[in-house]
Amino acid sequence: MQEQIKQRLENIISTMTQLPSIPDVVSRIINMVNDPNVDFKAVAEEIAKDQSLTTNILKLCNSAYFSKGKEIVSVDRAIVTLGLKEIKDIVVLVTCRNVLDKPILGYDLAAGEMWTHNLTVAILAKKMAMDIKRKDLADIVFTGGIIHDVGKTVLALYVANTFKDIMKVTQEKAVTFIDAEKDVMGFNHQDIGLKILEKWKFPDSLKAVVAYHHNPENSPKEFYKAVSIVHVANIITLMAGVGIGGDGLYHALNPDAVKETGISDADLEKYYSIVPEIVKQAKQI
Amino acid sequence: MANELVNVGVAQLKIGTSEQMLRTILGSCVGICIYDRNKKIGGMAHILLPEASGSSQIEKYADTAIPALINLLLKQGCTKEFMSAKIAGGASMFKFKISTALGQIGERNIEVTKDILKKAGIALLCEDTGGSTGRVIDFFLNDGHLKVKAGGVEQNYYKV
Ligand SMILES: [Fe+2]
Ligand SMILES: [Fe+2]
Repeated sequence: MQEQIKQRLENIISTMTQLPSIPDVVSRIINMVNDPNVDFKAVAEEIAKDQSLTTNILKLCNSAYFSKGKEIVSVDRAIVTLGLKEIKDIVVLVTCRNVLDKPILGYDLAAGEMWTHNLTVAILAKKMAMDIKRKDLADIVFTGGIIHDVGKTVLALYVANTFKDIMKVTQEKAVTFIDAEKDVMGFNHQDIGLKILEKWKFPDSLKAVVAYHHNPENSPKEFYKAVSIVHVANIITLMAGVGIGGDGLYHALNPDAVKETGISDADLEKYYSIVPEIVKQAKQI
Repeated sequence: MANELVNVGVAQLKIGTSEQMLRTILGSCVGICIYDRNKKIGGMAHILLPEASGSSQIEKYADTAIPALINLLLKQGCTKEFMSAKIAGGASMFKFKISTALGQIGERNIEVTKDILKKAGIALLCEDTGGSTGRVIDFFLNDGHLKVKAGGVEQNYYKV
């Protein structure tokens, strides 16, 4: 059966048709915003072409987490008030929600549980980036946090059939769940996530976060800090039980990645202790 | 016997009556379930860390949440002689430098929880703690039994 699953997943990856989709406008907006010569009018026009996207963006701009106080009634205003990067984060939030808030059966996550987990990781990671004075990474780790586990949406079905085998491998070989996924199915949820982002035409920075959030040691150098921040935020969120599934805490916290973030032991515990407040913020989004 | 589901979030504390079932999901946190078998009233605290050390958020910490939970139950007419406790959670990361403070949170949570229960004079009847599994726990207030689901395996603890 394991051979069959490997074969199936290989097929899914090479044909790409069975991987989830999001509207093309998302990658267009991400790439526009990442362009240093971006024209904000062009971004506003791109968004305005899609009425439901516009409505949903405005709703989020006025939500407790993103609101800057004054009510925002147009995309132009939203861009001026929140900035292009924050608008890009909101575009990803709005368009990925449908893909990410479903039940993730093989991992034992009920509807909405992974979504809350992703948002919590995103908000926590962004806070860490701000605290270590790396505002430039805030949007990458936020967007990366939202989509880091996207591979689970595809892999879950196969994990459902192989869960016992995966757990057995974690015990017998003393490896993490992510390594055991690969051992049993040929792919782990990072590999599948990377393929999904290729389909979505997302930038390399986000691909790195998705592909290495459990293995920051393998990240390309230029994205190592961002990947490390999401890695740490993910582990802390799991320890607090937010979006913890059948895989439990069968993961690793990479000490070098912690060092890379520059976060002290005492601060790690502080971040862990504020997870309940972060979850509250996540639920307001 | 359909019990009404009540979710207890991270760092929350709730009590309920016999027709209810309290549920929470645990990583390194500990869920403390106390039941009065005479009144058929019970409550659950979901603590994140062992000691409040002056923090006003009493629900987050074992040393403040447990006395608060007991007090809530006493106010409902429960008595300590009929109360008993079950605890679950306190898992640790599978691979972790145990020397870091974060690596010991699960263990510390279990230890301090037991200590506080003992000091309060509440009998601890069973525990499903430690390891690296996440746990979904359901606390049924009609008979005080606790169902723990961890890594796809269910375990029931009936003693009250
Ligand atoms: Fe993951
Ligand atoms: Fe995650």
